[in-house]
Amino acid sequence: MILLEVRSVTKRFGGVVAVDNVSFSVGVGEILGLMGANGAGKTTMFSLIAGNQRPDDGSILLDGVPIHGMRPDIISRRGISRAFQIVRPFAGMSVLENVMVGELFGARQEKSTTIAEARARDIIGEVGLSDRADDFADSLTLAGRKRLEIARALATNPKFLMLDEVMAGLTPTEVAEAVAMIRKLQSERDLTVVIIEHVMGVLMDLCPRIVVLHHGGVLAEGTPAEISQDARVIEAYLGTGRDSAA
Amino acid sequence: MTRTRIPEIGVIVAAFAIVASLPWLAGSYMVSFAFSLMMWLALTQSWVLFSGLTGYISLGHAVFFGAGAYVMVLCWGTISFWLAIPLAGIIAGGLALLLGYPCLRVRGPYFVILTFGLAELIKFVVVNIESELGQFSRVVFGGPGVDQLFHVMVGLAAIATLMTYVVRRSRAGVGLRAIRENEEAAETIGVSVARYKAFAFAASAIIPGMVGAVMVLRTTYFEPLQAFSPITSFTIVSIAIIGGGDDAPGPVYGALFLVVLQELLWANWPQLYMIILGLLLVFFVLWSPDGVHGWVRKWQLGGRK
Repeated sequence: MILLEVRSVTKRFGGVVAVDNVSFSVGVGEILGLMGANGAGKTTMFSLIAGNQRPDDGSILLDGVPIHGMRPDIISRRGISRAFQIVRPFAGMSVLENVMVGELFGARQEKSTTIAEARARDIIGEVGLSDRADDFADSLTLAGRKRLEIARALATNPKFLMLDEVMAGLTPTEVAEAVAMIRKLQSERDLTVVIIEHVMGVLMDLCPRIVVLHHGGVLAEGTPAEISQDARVIEAYLGTGRDSAA
Repeated sequence: MTRTRIPEIGVIVAAFAIVASLPWLAGSYMVSFAFSLMMWLALTQSWVLFSGLTGYISLGHAVFFGAGAYVMVLCWGTISFWLAIPLAGIIAGGLALLLGYPCLRVRGPYFVILTFGLAELIKFVVVNIESELGQFSRVVFGGPGVDQLFHVMVGLAAIATLMTYVVRRSRAGVGLRAIRENEEAAETIGVSVARYKAFAFAASAIIPGMVGAVMVLRTTYFEPLQAFSPITSFTIVSIAIIGGGDDAPGPVYGALFLVVLQELLWANWPQLYMIILGLLLVFFVLWSPDGVHGWVRKWQLGGRK
């Protein structure tokens, strides 16, 4: 069963085509990897799905209902959530309050701050930040802020979660912890996840299926094994002999 | 998360009840001092409700004060002032919705300049209307006595303080502060930012409109350049900077400090007042952006650890 479908979506910024006629779909409960070099259009794709940007062309459907062109807050309430690549904590609020925003305003629209606080504490526990719950968000390390970014996205109670390089800049130990955490969260919460990651091992490990973007278009799609053997992907990442000589 | 506590609300109400009993306890000097204190407290609490929580610094709140005053003089002789005061609040709130529509689309310095500019524009519109009507200043005689007006002002200050206290601790308060910290992130996790900003801006204009209406009755005359004077906006922002703009105690510290300073310096060294206020603002902006309330909170947290 398909949860999210992207149909021939195009996004231009002036003369630059950031996303060029991209189509793919994500099944319920799937973990899909989104791969591609810098500038391939991965983050723009997330912005289009979350409603931070509007596509110039094409459509995006959640459960068969078109959502492109809706405001980000409406899309969030429909169950789509996004962790930003460049973390955006609410710096002057506590870790707990950061996560409460998701509970109060996301898909669940919790009206009681007491219930929201209890649920937020649970999520903070799940991402391993319990001892920092009452500290200001800007006192966290980068790894802590990435966890907070995930916690806040989870607190909106999404069906569909987009993680944008949540492991960039983490140490190998922290990456291993984060992979275990994401896998656990995904299975416990019946989440559908799309994950952008530059740490290749992570995608190979987490995602049964990977879509590769290149210059705004879909270059390849398949299992990690297929992708790692794909001549076009290898060329896009490593270049051909001639290119590297030049 | 800081939450609303009934005993704290009790303390706030009791404190204002004590202030309201001043006419029976103290002389007229004390009452006029407290009048000024309550006016600035009501204005700054209302400002904090919007600007303090959302981070959109309004430099145009004088326009709501002036609009309220203007509503009062226009209603004078037609309807009872007890009706004119709430009407002034409603019209100021409506004006904020109207002004918010263009202003709330921009952030940071652009919002500051736009609110200031529109407030000045409306001031000169009223000046021109009044001179076309052949009115250069209007006199309002036969209004309620000082003590009665004082009680209304204490009531307005109490309501403004409770509004900031309760909203700051509510679901809406969490959303407004999320807008302050990162508007795009707030919107992405579900806060309907446009609606929240518009409602908060309107809510923060209602009490200043009513305060303006009461002040016309207190001063017994209306002159547009004075009623819409931008000094009102500057003073509100100064009080919030000195006291702290993130929660209800801030304006209390700030208003007390500023009104005491005014009393001390205006009587003896009026030329020093603006210089000292300027130095204080520089000090607080650079070294203590959380204001006096920030110190108090740090001191309380330090004591607990």
